[in-house]
Amino acid sequence: MAPRGNATRVCLVATSMLLSVMQPRSPEAQEGPAGITKPTVLSPFDPNASSCGRPSGLERVLAFAQDNDRKFMQGVAHGLALAARDRGLEFRIAQANNDPAKMVDQVRTFLDAKVGALVVAPVDPPSIGPVLKQVIWSGAYVGAVVPPPAITVLNAPQYLTGKVLGDEAAEYIRSKLNGKAKVVLLTHDSLQFLAPRFVAIRDSLKAMPGVVIVADISPLTVDEAGGTAMMRTILLAEPDVDVVLGADTVVLGALAALREAGKARPDQFLGGIDGEPAAVGEIKAGGPYKASVSLASPIFSYAMGQHAADWLEGKSIPQAMDILPKALKLDNIASYEADLADPAAVYNNRSRRNEYLRMYGNICFDTRQNFINFPWSSERK
Amino acid sequence: MPISSRLVINLTIVFLTVGLLALVGIIATTVWLGEKARIYAEEATSARMTRVAAVELRASLQSAESSQRGYLVGGNEIYLAPYDSAKTQAGSQLDRLKSSLSGAPQSARVIERLSGLVTDKIDEMDRTIALKRELKDAEALAIFGGNRGKALMDEANVFLSSIIRTTDERLTDGLAQQRINASWLRWVSIIGGLVIIVVVSGVILTIYRYTREVAQTRDEVQSLNATLEQRVNDRTADLSKARDTAEVLLAEVNHRVANSLAMVSALVSLQSRAMQDKVAQEALKETQARIDAIASVHKRLYSSGDARFVDFDEYLSSLLDNVETAMKGEGHGASLRYDLAALRLKPDTSVNLGVIVTELVTNSFKYAYPDRSGEVRVSLKRLSTSQAELVVEDDGVGRDAGSPPKGTGLGSRIVNAMARTIGAEVEYFVRHPGCGARLAFACPAELG
Repeated sequence: MAPRGNATRVCLVATSMLLSVMQPRSPEAQEGPAGITKPTVLSPFDPNASSCGRPSGLERVLAFAQDNDRKFMQGVAHGLALAARDRGLEFRIAQANNDPAKMVDQVRTFLDAKVGALVVAPVDPPSIGPVLKQVIWSGAYVGAVVPPPAITVLNAPQYLTGKVLGDEAAEYIRSKLNGKAKVVLLTHDSLQFLAPRFVAIRDSLKAMPGVVIVADISPLTVDEAGGTAMMRTILLAEPDVDVVLGADTVVLGALAALREAGKARPDQFLGGIDGEPAAVGEIKAGGPYKASVSLASPIFSYAMGQHAADWLEGKSIPQAMDILPKALKLDNIASYEADLADPAAVYNNRSRRNEYLRMYGNICFDTRQNFINFPWSSERK
Repeated sequence: MPISSRLVINLTIVFLTVGLLALVGIIATTVWLGEKARIYAEEATSARMTRVAAVELRASLQSAESSQRGYLVGGNEIYLAPYDSAKTQAGSQLDRLKSSLSGAPQSARVIERLSGLVTDKIDEMDRTIALKRELKDAEALAIFGGNRGKALMDEANVFLSSIIRTTDERLTDGLAQQRINASWLRWVSIIGGLVIIVVVSGVILTIYRYTREVAQTRDEVQSLNATLEQRVNDRTADLSKARDTAEVLLAEVNHRVANSLAMVSALVSLQSRAMQDKVAQEALKETQARIDAIASVHKRLYSSGDARFVDFDEYLSSLLDNVETAMKGEGHGASLRYDLAALRLKPDTSVNLGVIVTELVTNSFKYAYPDRSGEVRVSLKRLSTSQAELVVEDDGVGRDAGSPPKGTGLGSRIVNAMARTIGAEVEYFVRHPGCGARLAFACPAELG
């Protein structure tokens, strides 16, 4: 499988979880409530909701079942560690190296150790799902980076992610290219759930009569090599391109093809999704790469760590949370990186927190049977 | 300002040149824009053919794909009815597209890639349809689900859309250029027409002004001619009157000069008679004779009616008569005889000759015949058409060569001086008996 960006990863896991929910449940899964399995629209989170009982017999431990060591997950671990420190929890981490069975074993170990809180980034949602439900039934807090089941589900709104990038591109075209541009849209046909991103990008551009989408196509492989190959082909048909949009990896490949053909210009707008370090480096270099939509993993993980501590104290916490996409540009990268370095400052400032996070529903120890057990999305109507 | 015929010609040439240039400009612009329109028409036809081929190729592929998918989903052969014709159509449109694109930049690589995509797409459709016919639905759907067909179609679409968009841009640009050209032609025609109108107006105005001025001048000339005779008569009368007045004035002047000289002569005579000294008395008498000679000329001038000339023979005879009378009155016994040809001389010449003759005759009376009577002769005759001769001679005692002049010598100096004044020399000659003096002087024939 081709490497995927962070936001892509978040949604891929959600789709896998949807499949797991639809599969017959094992006998083990029948030992507790099934949670909310029917797609439901959650109301906004009420921070003033009344508290309830505290979990008992659990250790004040915040555990993190990490799928692999990619940068995005390093950010998650960093946020969780900071939150645990700030709330007096012990922080434990177990990395599965993309091995589903290993992750199942690691989570079982946490269950046996009666950890009070678990945050998981599933390698394989179907295999880990039953174990996670057991952790929930034990009274522990379970936060999932996208796929259910979980007390709190973290999700990335796909349409909004694409819209942020599309709006940035549209604004650039309007202000710097006099409203006229030839746009290349590099899609991702093999992951259907990512389609809203590209719908959003098309929505942003379709109101601009001077914009022509000269190519709306998925590279054969969604990686840098695929982006390069596809861009070479596109340049045969359209030698002059003004805007290239897609996932960071393929857009980086497209940039390589543009440079190879001598068609890269400083006034072009190349924008991607995922906040890949190479993309951020290109943005900082001040070339054609102008923006990358990123998900601030330390910030949402810090919030999840806080929620875990609140849960153990019997407080009501959100059932779901959106990590809002942020367009990284030359003028905001420094402040963004400062926020990532100190997520506590963001979390403790409501307005700054609202720039990154949007929370839905309320749940506490006494209402834990209402855990989320369906592929939740705030964009579901 | 009056318009000269030269100015009219120059202005007309300038106007006609400007008008001709404007006309040439309009014609050249029309020809140029017509050529551009022809080029655009060829370009538009080419672009349209390319566009039609691209659109038809895309439609054919979509039609074939639609048939394939209908058959794969429904399994009904009816869906394949348009499939073969769509494939054939796609092939022929691809050939047309290749023909249209040949020569365009990068066309070889585009055609190569597009041909490969069309071939792969048709192969993919043929393969899935064949598998379906062999009831291998799972394999057919696996190929279908692999998105290979969509990817090929998407990529072909990139090329076809680009070709369609490029040809649209060519057509749009050409149309915009044609609009600009039409605007150019309109403005050039309007401006050129205005220039021609201005030029024609200028020529008409110039000719009108010139014609009007010619007519005015002709009228003025006719008017002047009508009064010219009267004005000439008036002017002649004025001149005649002026001439008469001048003649009267001149006669008056001569009269007064003559009177004044007569008065001077009388005063000299009185002075002479009052003198005791004989020599002085004699000198004054000589002076009086000279004054009388001059006065006589003026008398002639105011009495002759023509102040420009003197009838010299008449004047000289009168003068000689007076001298003879005066000499005889003083007791000189010689007699005077003269033979004078008719001559008309200018007053100055007459005065000089009169004084010279008076001196010579007086001299002869005084010294030629000291003790007897004799004759003094004066002759005046024309020698040629331009010369006349005056001779004074006697038969007296004569004068020895080299002997000093008798008297004071003033008379001789006066004679010589006045002779030089009229451009002549006095030639003295000896006769036996007697002596003489000859003076040849200029005398134009018209004065004779």
